[in-house]
Amino acid sequence: MASLGGSSSSSTEYIVRVPKNTSKKYSIMAFNSGDKVNCSSWTQARMERDMSNRRMYGVEETEEGAAGSEFGKKQREEARRKKFGIVTREFKVEDQPWILKVNGKAGKRFKGTKKGGITENASYYIFTQCPDGAFEAFPVNGWYNFVPQAKHRTLTAEEAEEEWGRRNKVVNHFSIMLQRRLREQERGPDDDDEEGEKGGKKKKKKGGRGGDLRIHDLEDDLELSSDESDSSGGEDGDSKPKKKEGDVKGKGKKKKKKRGSDSEANEDSDDGDFEGLEVDYMSDESSSEEEVGEEKAKSNKEAVPKGIDEASESEEESEEEKQNEEEGKEEEEEEEGKKTPVQTKKKRDSSGESDTSEDSDIDGEAASALFMKKRTPPKRGGGRGSGGSSRTGSRPGTPSIDSTSTSNTLRAAASKLEQGKRQVVGGSSESPAAKRLKMESSSTAVTTQSPAPSGKSTPQPPSGKSTPSSSDVQLTEEAVRRYLIRKPMTTKDLLKKFQTKRTGLSSEQTVNVLAQILKRLNPERKNVNDKMHFYLTE
Amino acid sequence: MSEKGEVDLTGAKQNTGVWLVKVPKYLSQQWAKASGRGEVGKLRIGKNQGKAEVEFTLNEDLTMIDSLGNKPSGVQAPRDHPFTMQTVGGQTLAVFTETQSERISLEGLVVQRAECRPAVSENYMKLKRLQIEELSKPVRLSQQLEKAVTTNYKPVANHSYNLEYDRKKKEEGKRARVDKQQVLDMLFSAFEKHQYYNIKDLVDITKQPVSYLKEILRDIGIYNVKGTHKNTWELKPEYRHYQGGEEEEKETDD
Repeated sequence: MASLGGSSSSSTEYIVRVPKNTSKKYSIMAFNSGDKVNCSSWTQARMERDMSNRRMYGVEETEEGAAGSEFGKKQREEARRKKFGIVTREFKVEDQPWILKVNGKAGKRFKGTKKGGITENASYYIFTQCPDGAFEAFPVNGWYNFVPQAKHRTLTAEEAEEEWGRRNKVVNHFSIMLQRRLREQERGPDDDDEEGEKGGKKKKKKGGRGGDLRIHDLEDDLELSSDESDSSGGEDGDSKPKKKEGDVKGKGKKKKKKRGSDSEANEDSDDGDFEGLEVDYMSDESSSEEEVGEEKAKSNKEAVPKGIDEASESEEESEEEKQNEEEGKEEEEEEEGKKTPVQTKKKRDSSGESDTSEDSDIDGEAASALFMKKRTPPKRGGGRGSGGSSRTGSRPGTPSIDSTSTSNTLRAAASKLEQGKRQVVGGSSESPAAKRLKMESSSTAVTTQSPAPSGKSTPQPPSGKSTPSSSDVQLTEEAVRRYLIRKPMTTKDLLKKFQTKRTGLSSEQTVNVLAQILKRLNPERKNVNDKMHFYLTE
Repeated sequence: MSEKGEVDLTGAKQNTGVWLVKVPKYLSQQWAKASGRGEVGKLRIGKNQGKAEVEFTLNEDLTMIDSLGNKPSGVQAPRDHPFTMQTVGGQTLAVFTETQSERISLEGLVVQRAECRPAVSENYMKLKRLQIEELSKPVRLSQQLEKAVTTNYKPVANHSYNLEYDRKKKEEGKRARVDKQQVLDMLFSAFEKHQYYNIKDLVDITKQPVSYLKEILRDIGIYNVKGTHKNTWELKPEYRHYQGGEEEEKETDD
């Protein structure tokens, strides 16, 4: 190769070839610098054209075949379009975007859109060096800009506007996406993957506030169905974190989702309901509860309520209160990576097993609800630690903050749960619960808390909790009897009567006590509007 | 095992580095004219006092520029083209190829970007002038005609198309009524194919006079006045038997 003279300059010459008739078409795959894409780290990749725009250009296919079709419809449609001068652009496959999936299903996804106009004024060539030292130049056929596709849930424009309006009230943004997911679950159960991933991420992101710490005018509310996000914030601020953790264990999200969606719908009406009006039927809420309860009671993944069932009814009752919790749990589950639905099922089942009568169902429900509540706080800490998803970056501060702030509440909530649980649930349900509790407890940072609940293996005598401390309204057997004699009521209605504000009990306690009272009273049941009502004839 | 969609990552794994070079249009046109193995020129890479200098020299035989219409113009393409080197920046540019059999493979990553610029010379100026001249020609041209165009539309007593139409009508004659049963058979088979029919289409299919056909249709079908299938006839529900549809098909016994 020629070398020129000159002290500090030297050069080498290479031959440049432009191969003809190459069967390969070269294209550029451009990534944004901020995405930090390292191609050499890819183990495997799949790329295909994104054909989702085909129907835009093709004719919208209405039903073929006999039913619903018209004779000559196609021709008529085409003639009509021509008359109006509608010109649909041809669907060209080479212009369609690429979908690139790296490292399999769990890896990244990119969408590459073609950049126009690169071959208009100048041509791009790729120069590669051949083994013989010559350069070969290949013309670039297309330039595609690849952007990573978000796997986490994002809000649509309408939803974003809604949330914007509530920005002053909502502290925990984690629940926003949760609710959205719950709503979607109802529509179509195929979000599992996303939820799972999202869940994992969310954990890191939100930290454990659990549901929304919503600022409410009316603070307590067992029955606020909208609690998925809100009310739980109030008193259940504690329970929320717990719930979260419980969720992570993997409950049947589907069930929860359904409930969530219902509650979501009921949110607006809750304020009014909450006022403690003597209303005959809180149909909305009850039904939502029922559905919710049913789902929960049944198999894990079935989102379809299984019809009216005692178990489900009782479930709803207690669930109404626990809705927040459970929704929170669902959210957590989904967001945090949905573990086995078995977990939830186990919970439900255990409560189911121990319950033979409706009363015990309620207890079971309450127990499971409590149980779940309890699980969540300890789990939260653990879950967060193990969450470890790419979301870490987005909310660096939250995890640590959450664990510290909720440690006290965790402790308090856990002890309450422990007590409540011990009272109402029989032996069978306790062991799995206790075990789980132990696992969770141990995984959290709340080490002091763990010995206490796990240490409490002997059930406390129910009598300890049977006389509630109350200020205005006593949650007594007498009171319940009076109500039930007067008219048939659902458990939800009953709970409404004994609001935590008035009785001074927490929601969990109220549920427990009410469950016991109902067990003692053994009222008759009747189905009204697909809801189980209790009544007494004296 | 479907190969389609699977990206061959050998280029990425080997971290093959390539250059992305922006080349002027005229140069790529000249390269397209290359013969034989496709040799187009020489690339000289030198290091001059610490800075890399890259220059491309076009082969002599490729310097003939063809103007529009493939006539050789008097212009010659410049031969020397220094490259302006640019960094890739933070951007990651990968090169992938697609074969006709839709196999995608990653060829490598871009390590250097460059722009091929012509060394300014007399030749280049002439070339540019030629290009500008060609571009500045208007796309549309107004031209005056000497004689008016008279070959397109002439008045005709009766268009040939019309004549044909009349003849066809006469030949077909009025539609004759056939047996009601036959008509029903035709109708049922037609309704098996589509659910909704226009009366005109039914007349075409059955070749029956309109009033007779309407009588029969009133028996077995209903007329949709509103809705999406406006002004169409369909079979009565009890005669229908569509997939995913309801009642059993009943045959009319006449």
